[in-house]
Amino acid sequence: MIRAVIADDEAPAREKLERWVAEQPGMAVVGSAEDGLSAAQCIERLRPDVAFLDVQMPTLSGLQVAAQLEPSSAPLIVFVTAFDEHAVNAFDLNAIDYLLKPYDRDRFARTVQRVRERLRTHESGAAAVAIGRAQATSCERLLVPDGERLQLIDTASVEWLEADDNYVHVHTAARSYLLRRTLQDLLSQLGEQRFVRIHKSTAVNLGSIGSLTPLFKGDHEIHLRNGRILRLSRRYRDALFARMGR
Amino acid sequence: MLSRLPSTGVHADYDGSFPQKSMAALWALWAVFWLLMIGVSIEDQLRDPLTRWWEPILTEGSSALVSTGWMWLAVRVRGRHARYLDKPLIWFASYLRWLPLIFITWITAVYTIRHGVYATVGRTYAHPGWGFVVVYESLKLTYITGLWLGVLFGIDSYGQWQLQWRRLLQTQKALAEAQLAQLQGQLRPHFLFNALNTVSALMHTDVTRADRLVAALGDLLRISLRSNEHEMTPLAEELRTLELYAGIMHERFRDRVALDWQIDRTVLDIPVPALLLQPLLENVFKHGVERTVTPVRIHIGAHRESGSLEIVVSNSGSMLAPEHRDGVGFRNCRERLDIIYGNAASLLVCNEGDGVVARVSIPLAEALP
Repeated sequence: MIRAVIADDEAPAREKLERWVAEQPGMAVVGSAEDGLSAAQCIERLRPDVAFLDVQMPTLSGLQVAAQLEPSSAPLIVFVTAFDEHAVNAFDLNAIDYLLKPYDRDRFARTVQRVRERLRTHESGAAAVAIGRAQATSCERLLVPDGERLQLIDTASVEWLEADDNYVHVHTAARSYLLRRTLQDLLSQLGEQRFVRIHKSTAVNLGSIGSLTPLFKGDHEIHLRNGRILRLSRRYRDALFARMGR
Repeated sequence: MLSRLPSTGVHADYDGSFPQKSMAALWALWAVFWLLMIGVSIEDQLRDPLTRWWEPILTEGSSALVSTGWMWLAVRVRGRHARYLDKPLIWFASYLRWLPLIFITWITAVYTIRHGVYATVGRTYAHPGWGFVVVYESLKLTYITGLWLGVLFGIDSYGQWQLQWRRLLQTQKALAEAQLAQLQGQLRPHFLFNALNTVSALMHTDVTRADRLVAALGDLLRISLRSNEHEMTPLAEELRTLELYAGIMHERFRDRVALDWQIDRTVLDIPVPALLLQPLLENVFKHGVERTVTPVRIHIGAHRESGSLEIVVSNSGSMLAPEHRDGVGFRNCRERLDIIYGNAASLLVCNEGDGVVARVSIPLAEALP
C-alpha cells in the first residue's frame, strides 16, 4: 500500500487530489494539510511514501517544506503548482515530479505511475529536498520539534548548533531543541549566510559572537554574547576570520 | 443627480506655470529690440551735429526703462490670464484695458526722467507741445504694446501647448500602465490557473457551481478587456468587477474568507476611474487571505462624505509590516488619482484594529471648483 500525504490550502483543489489519490489502486491518503507547517507535521508523524505538496501555501511553501526535510529519509515529493515558471524550470532540470494545475486524469495517472516506479527502485525524496533548498534561497525559519508537535523558529534566534551523533542541539536564547539531523545537513539547509562552523561538532551564528580570545597553538575561545564560551579549532579559524572580515 | 466628471477634466484647466526657457527667449528678444531702437537713434544723431552723443541714449533709454517696468508687470500676471489663451480676444482685451493707465504713467515717467536729466546738465529738453506729445506717444505705445502682447501671446500659447501635451502623454501613459497592470492582475497566470483548477475540481462534485464559476471568470475577463476604452466608469460597474473577483476567490478559499459590503445606494452612479479598486482587493487576498489559514473578514464600503466619495477596502487578520512600502498596485492607483484629480483625491493605507484599511477619497463633481 502506498501511503500519501496531501497539502493544499485551497479546499476544492485539496479535495480533488484526495479523491483522485484514493481512487488509485494500492494507494491511500493517510493525511492532508492546509498549510506548510501542518504538512511538515504530517510528514514527520506519518512518514508517508509520497507527499503531494502545493507550492503556494501559508506558513511554509511546498518548496520550503521540502527544504526542511532530511534528504535520506524524505518521502517522494510531487510538487503541485498553478504557475511558477521559475520553480517548474528547476523541476524539469532535476527530473522532479510535479503536477501543473489544472490537470486531468491522464496527467495525474502518469504522475502516479512515475511515483510507483520510483518507489519500486527505492528512491528517496532527496532530489526534491535539494530543489527546495536551492529555491528557498535564504532559510529564515527553521522547523524544530516541540514535544509532539513541530514549530517554526526564526533562524536569527538560533545562537549556536551542537552535533551529537546523528542529532543536533539547536540552541536559542530561550531553550534548546533536539533535531534528528546531521550538523552537515542542517548547515546545508541553513546556508552559509549566517552560520559558520567552528569545530567538528559546533557551528555558531555570526551575530551571536561577542569576542575572541587567542589560546595556544592557534586555537581561540569564542565568547558568545550570552556568556557561553565555545572552542574555535585551528582548522576552521581562517574560514571564520574571513567571514568576520579580519 | 450628479453630473459626470469630464474624463478630459485635466486638459481643460490651464496651468499658471510656464516653461522657464520661453521666458528667457522673451527677455532676450526684448533686449535686442531696445538695443536696436537705441542703435537706430544713435545712427540718426551721427548725422545731426547739433545733438550730443548721450541724447539719443537718454531718449530711448528712458523709454526702454519705463517700458520694461510695464512688460515685467505683464509677464508677472500672465498666469492669471493663461486660462484665456484659447480665447485670444478676451486675452488681448484683458491686457489692453490697462492702456489708458499705461499712456498716463508712461508719458509722465519718461518725460520726467528726460527733463530731469537735461536739467541736471543745465540744458532744457526741447520737445513739441504736450498735446502732440500725448497723441504721438499714445499711438506709438499702442503699436508697441500690441506688438509685444502678440509676442507674449505666442510664447505663452506655445508653452501651454507644450504643458498640456506633456500632461496628456502622462495621463495616457499612466492609464496604459494601469490597464496593463490590471490585465496582468486579472490575467495573472497564478490567479487564472488556480481559478481554472477550482473549476476542474468543482466539475466532479457540483456542476452548477462549476458553471457559475466559469461564467464569472468569463465576465471578469470581458470587463477587463472592455474597460480599456473608458477612463471613467460608474461606481456600480467598478463594484460589479470587485464582486466577480471576490466571488471567484470565495470559491477558491471558501470559509477562509467572509465578505461584507456596505454600499450607500446613492453613490452608485458616481463616476470613478475605471480599474481603480481591484488592485486594492487583490492586495487583501494576496497579503491577507493567501498568507494565513485563519478566516479573514473583508469589508468593502462606499459612502458620501462632505463633498467627496469615500471608498474603503479593509481586511482583518494581517497587518502592514513596519518597513512596508507601497507595491505597484497602490502606486499605480495613487498616480492615477493624482493625474485625474490633483490634490483633491487621496489613497491612504494604514493599520487599523486587527487589520489593514485602504481608503480612497474622490472629490464629487459638484464640489470641484
